[in-house]
Amino acid sequence: MDFSDKLITSLTVLLTGFVVVFAVLLILIGIIKGYSLIVTKLEQKVKEKKNQKKAASAKPETSVQQPKAVKVTETVESGISDEIVAVIAAAVDAMYGSSGKARIKSIKKSDNSRSAWSKAGVLDNTRPF
Amino acid sequence: MEILNGFVDSIVGLFRDSGLMVLGWQNYVMIGVAIVLIYLAIGRQYEPLLLLPIAFGMLLVNLYPSIMAAPTTTLQPVTEYMAEHGGQAASYAITELGGVQYYNVPENGGLFYYLYQGVKLGIYPPLIFLGIGAMTDFGPLIANPKSFILGAAAQLGIFITFIGAILLGFTDKEAGAIAIIGGADGPTAIYVATRLASHLLGPIAVAAYSYMALVPIIQPPIMKFLTTKKERAVKMTQLRSVSKLEKIIFPIVVIIIVALFLPSAAPLVGMLMLGNIFKESGVVDRICKAAQNELMNIITIFLGVTVGATATGEVFLTTQTLGIVVLGLAAFCVGTAGGILFGKLMYKFTGGKVNPLIGSAGVSAVPMAARVSQKVGQEENPSNFLLMHAMGPNVAGVIGSAVAAGVLLSVLG
Repeated sequence: MDFSDKLITSLTVLLTGFVVVFAVLLILIGIIKGYSLIVTKLEQKVKEKKNQKKAASAKPETSVQQPKAVKVTETVESGISDEIVAVIAAAVDAMYGSSGKARIKSIKKSDNSRSAWSKAGVLDNTRPF
Repeated sequence: MEILNGFVDSIVGLFRDSGLMVLGWQNYVMIGVAIVLIYLAIGRQYEPLLLLPIAFGMLLVNLYPSIMAAPTTTLQPVTEYMAEHGGQAASYAITELGGVQYYNVPENGGLFYYLYQGVKLGIYPPLIFLGIGAMTDFGPLIANPKSFILGAAAQLGIFITFIGAILLGFTDKEAGAIAIIGGADGPTAIYVATRLASHLLGPIAVAAYSYMALVPIIQPPIMKFLTTKKERAVKMTQLRSVSKLEKIIFPIVVIIIVALFLPSAAPLVGMLMLGNIFKESGVVDRICKAAQNELMNIITIFLGVTVGATATGEVFLTTQTLGIVVLGLAAFCVGTAGGILFGKLMYKFTGGKVNPLIGSAGVSAVPMAARVSQKVGQEENPSNFLLMHAMGPNVAGVIGSAVAAGVLLSVLG
């Protein structure tokens, strides 16, 4: 294979590869967006119907309590790594958003009162991939 | 005296058969390399799940090369065979040479030869993908499908390295097998290497897994070099929650599209999606757990040990290996850069809503590359959480590299 052949082969693979990979993944983007939209709308409709049914059968409720913002200083027990603090903070952020409504009060290790079976159960259900 | 002579003959025979007489200097060098890799796997915990079996396979094959020997057939004159076996004939095939009849006496191959068939026939990598699919949550990708663009961009390393490999004198098939290291996906690299250049499997697999283990060292300097402080500090908005139905539809849609447009990627992507539908359907919990744990672990042992066993001294200690190591690193770096640069484009087009750091996760290496994006982002802004955003390109990279593998197999295979 001389230099020009090598160049032709290389550019063919580069062009084919890039175009095909992008094309396939762009098609997937379009389809996923499309079906996500349909599924979300369908699920909203189902929810609305359920809510209407509930509203018709249940008594009117009085008031809904709004969660209050938490404002406290941070106290992190020794032996808890920054990584764990970051994960807990991320979970709180995911729940409440970055609105500043929530603040972590303190992070403490729980006492080891769980049985071995209970721990195994928790581990099995929370093990990351 | 006869006993003594017999004893001496036995000892001499044993010595002649021992590794001390059979092994060459290359084997001893590879034994050293294997021990270093074992240290890295245990002492430094670099991808130990794969590096340890690979290193031990490498150690075993260089101590006892026959463990990887293919089955052979020996020709033995029929009369001689019958004399040895008390006049009993055998049912072996007979070959006649020069008027003499010979039995084709089969001899079994080494243990690893048989286990290696799973690699050679392309069985193990798709099975590993089945396990990966059963463990992967495609939710972040479904929530933000644009991540696919970053997963595609990070495959740039594969195609650019292909050019480098061709220009360095590798054949087109060898270049394709080497370039796939840039996909940062071990099973995909092995799958492509066995199909395009099986003689390079050992160095390619070792390079691929070594670089995957070194993602936290290789990627951050490139990420920091290509992004500004302001870009790295971008906080991304929380991803929407994805419903169960969307997650169930995803694997079906992906396999339909990929298999229709690129059938050669179907074994890898198909098994990935099969594993994922096991997980997301929620109705085959037992099968899902088997794919995630038992099957995945067993295949990992077989795959690791036999891939390591392909790295014999004669194959590994060549200038080609050096070329593969250098090209593999280049592929990884260019892939990371490709993802980051497209991340920057997305940053510009979205008016600063996308943090370009998530682009580097498009090289696969799940979930290590996503963790690196998170870590580098948090160094700039401690309240920044990019992990879930980076998981999108990360899992898109797995699909992207499988599609890129399909392209290489179609064009070069």
